[in-house]
Amino acid sequence: MELHEFCQLADLSEKEFLIKEINGKSIGAILVDGVVHTILNYCPHEAAEVCKGKVTGTVLPSNVGEYLYDGNQKVISCPWHGWEFDIKSGKALFESEKSYRLKTIKNSIVNNKIYVGV
Amino acid sequence: MNENFPIIDCDVHQTYQHHNELVPYMDEPFKSRLAERGFGYPGGMYYSVVGGVRKDSFPESGGTPGSDYQLMRKQLLDHYNIKYAVLNGGAMLGVTLMTEQDYPAMLAKAYNDWLLETWIKYDDRFIGSMMIAAQNPLAAAEEIRRVGTHKRICQVIVSGVTPMPIGQRYFHPIFEACSDVGIPISFHPGGNQSSGTAPVPTPVGFPQYYLEWHTLLANVYMSQLTSMVVEGVFEKYPKLKAVFIEGGISWLPALMWRLDKNYKALRQQTPWLKRLPSEYILNHCKFTTQPIEEPPKKKYLVEIFEMVNAEKTVMFSSDYPHWDFDDPYYIIRGMDNNLKERVLYKNAAELYGLEI
Repeated sequence: MELHEFCQLADLSEKEFLIKEINGKSIGAILVDGVVHTILNYCPHEAAEVCKGKVTGTVLPSNVGEYLYDGNQKVISCPWHGWEFDIKSGKALFESEKSYRLKTIKNSIVNNKIYVGV
Repeated sequence: MNENFPIIDCDVHQTYQHHNELVPYMDEPFKSRLAERGFGYPGGMYYSVVGGVRKDSFPESGGTPGSDYQLMRKQLLDHYNIKYAVLNGGAMLGVTLMTEQDYPAMLAKAYNDWLLETWIKYDDRFIGSMMIAAQNPLAAAEEIRRVGTHKRICQVIVSGVTPMPIGQRYFHPIFEACSDVGIPISFHPGGNQSSGTAPVPTPVGFPQYYLEWHTLLANVYMSQLTSMVVEGVFEKYPKLKAVFIEGGISWLPALMWRLDKNYKALRQQTPWLKRLPSEYILNHCKFTTQPIEEPPKKKYLVEIFEMVNAEKTVMFSSDYPHWDFDDPYYIIRGMDNNLKERVLYKNAAELYGLEI
């Protein structure tokens, strides 16, 4: 695994992913609570470019007939089928017969520059 | 017949000779109404060219099929080594599709008392489903708490078709009472599924023929089961069990797979679902065999049974004395002995708490 320069820290927002192709792989980067998260731009369902989806809060598990909206938990909603993934952990929000997870990419910040390991 | 497994028959139709047998169990002003005007169910029924009952099920003494205990004993109970037979009544499910709420609730109550005073006493092998009028959920819940604790009442029964999807909160008092009392809710095609307060019998309108109507009974259960799961009934009442009688089996894998797939994308609107929809179905629901699907190769049905975990979810039913009766030894062809036992009696024994 090599470290590759991705962008300046100042280039990132909390609202949407910055997507770049690094070493032949499409990678998305975003800030959540001031922390940089980098993931492979690839949905484990049908391989859509998941980082192009909407970044939102989400509805938490609740009792029947209740809706508990959590604006702090940031999820990426895949632009094809709407599958939601927690950006911090990469885990899909729904229960399933197997675990679906986004592939997280290691990153490091040096002198306000973000590097990713691919 | 070269096998002699014990059998629990989960769908048997006993009935009264005349509706006047229920009159003593009614209160006024409804007592006189039943005596003078009959049930008053809405509408007619699709026309079956082969009729509605086995041709050999008419009692020699007269009367309607299912009204003669001795004949039922000879043709069903003793003939097949039946250990228990679940009595689901005849021509009572229509109470749920009447426009009124109070008269149908009293008809259901009268039926339950009549059942316990008559047929249940005829034979120790009989256990009964208690009737409710689902459009009156509060009265239904009260009736479940009154009668559902009787040791020979094994479940609540309601028309498969209801005025709106059964999982909706309007009906939850019924599920709460079932859960509290500890008996399953069961569904059976009936009443008149094309009139009264029943919705149109298929999503594309009225079919012309009984052949279509009968084939599409699975539509009803697909809709009701989906409603119960998605509305969170099994999340809200985790002890509740549901039994789907006479709707077949083979549609179930497709429904589960479609539900699970869609849930993954659409779960935000029903965040109370904590598990895959199919898990709720397999853990909470049972399906009776009749009318068994008859694919061109027996192994296809065995594969379907594997897909729906039939070792835990499928229970034998004959539908005696109706025209589409199933013989228990016919429906178990191709199964291994373990599955035969699970389907013929063990699943039902576990669900209803019966000793074999």
